Amino acid sequence: MIKKWLIEMGSPPLFYKWSTKILPWLFISAILILGIGLFWGLLFAPTDYKQGDVYRILYIHVPSAILGQSIFMFMAFCGFINVIWRAKISGMMLKSAAPIGVSFTLLALVTGSIWGKPTWGTWWVWDARLTSTLILFFIYTALIGLHSTIDDKTKADRAVSILSIVGLAIIPVIKKSVDWWQTLHQPSTFTITSSPSMSPDMYQPLLICLIGFYLFFALLLTLNLRNEILERERTKNWVKQLLGGVG
Amino acid sequence: MIAFRRSSTYITPLIFFLIVVTFFPLALGPQESLLSSLAPGVIWIAALLASLLAVETIFSEDFRDGTLDDFFISLEPSFILVFAKVMIHWLITGLPILVASSIAAIILYLPLDSFIPMLLSLLLGTSFMSLLGALGAALALGKSAILSAIIVLPFSVPTLLMGTSVITSSLNNQDFSGFLMIMGAMLALGIPGLCLLTVEALLLNYE
Repeated sequence: MIKKWLIEMGSPPLFYKWSTKILPWLFISAILILGIGLFWGLLFAPTDYKQGDVYRILYIHVPSAILGQSIFMFMAFCGFINVIWRAKISGMMLKSAAPIGVSFTLLALVTGSIWGKPTWGTWWVWDARLTSTLILFFIYTALIGLHSTIDDKTKADRAVSILSIVGLAIIPVIKKSVDWWQTLHQPSTFTITSSPSMSPDMYQPLLICLIGFYLFFALLLTLNLRNEILERERTKNWVKQLLGGVG
Repeated sequence: MIAFRRSSTYITPLIFFLIVVTFFPLALGPQESLLSSLAPGVIWIAALLASLLAVETIFSEDFRDGTLDDFFISLEPSFILVFAKVMIHWLITGLPILVASSIAAIILYLPLDSFIPMLLSLLLGTSFMSLLGALGAALALGKSAILSAIIVLPFSVPTLLMGTSVITSSLNNQDFSGFLMIMGAMLALGIPGLCLLTVEALLLNYE
């Protein structure tokens, strides 16, 4: 059952049809949950006694930093599938996820430096987590740059897949090695093993924001992927029928 | 082994490395204390740049004259042949850098006690860079040389950090064996992993 579903999802036309069905739901849930999280976090969560209202940028900063890393994992996962099973759609997924991932990483860097100015007194410090995020950003740009130089899209997907696998292997090493090098940043907000150090009033909206960001990513990915599918399959019959012979 | 017939192939990285190293005292001033504390970083940055210098030549010539086609037709596993290409690249860039690094260390006033750690870290680090460079070259085959450098450089961060940590720890009389072991582990994983992915990347050009 699941296997059949997976095989069907691997076919661009079937995926396109299926995504048309879920797209409205995805859209509504993403906007709703993101809206609730942001409103709650930015307007109703209590003010921090040390940092004042500045800390509220965390409701954007933390989810986007987490997303930046998760999207890379997702890309490497797609890369594995693409290299091993040559599933076309996984390559398209990888390609569609890259610009979203690089945007979230950039957003995390920018909001982080806006947050850093009033709290640390400087836009940038050479701290371990800032540095590894910056390197993650460079790795994203390397992936996107590589994709744009290869004309054949399927080959470009495969090349980027290979590089993203290397990235997956090396990112833990980068994180660990910069950790030894410098650490100033506050410890992770989320850990699975221990209870959060924040008060629940601040923590709950953050969790909702995070879920909202994930849904927002799913929405953007689906939209991007649909465009990618249409562009690459534009010579196929099903696309021509879909567009009423316009292309 | 044809690479050795033209002396320029292995002289160029060596001279490039020394020029980059020379520029740091010129830009920062010749104070001995400053230079010796900056020496690990300077040597490593120069080594990274020099090892990337000749990176696109690893496969480009063989691809153009068809030697690469023979690689994949031959009965030898292509993995071994790629590994051989990587070793040759190391011999024409890594080894000259290793030789030149002693000169660099002298002109940057690095204490003599730190020479052995420096050479060990460069030995492991430049080998890893050759492996990584081969993958970059295979992915950017037929494209601009700068592309493979941009692909490879973000991935070389651990090598840079570990390599400089080895030399800095030895300057401060601390134990540096841990950093060397991690570099060795990366190399040990990199030989099978990166070579296989390089084969995969080269095969992209034959579809």
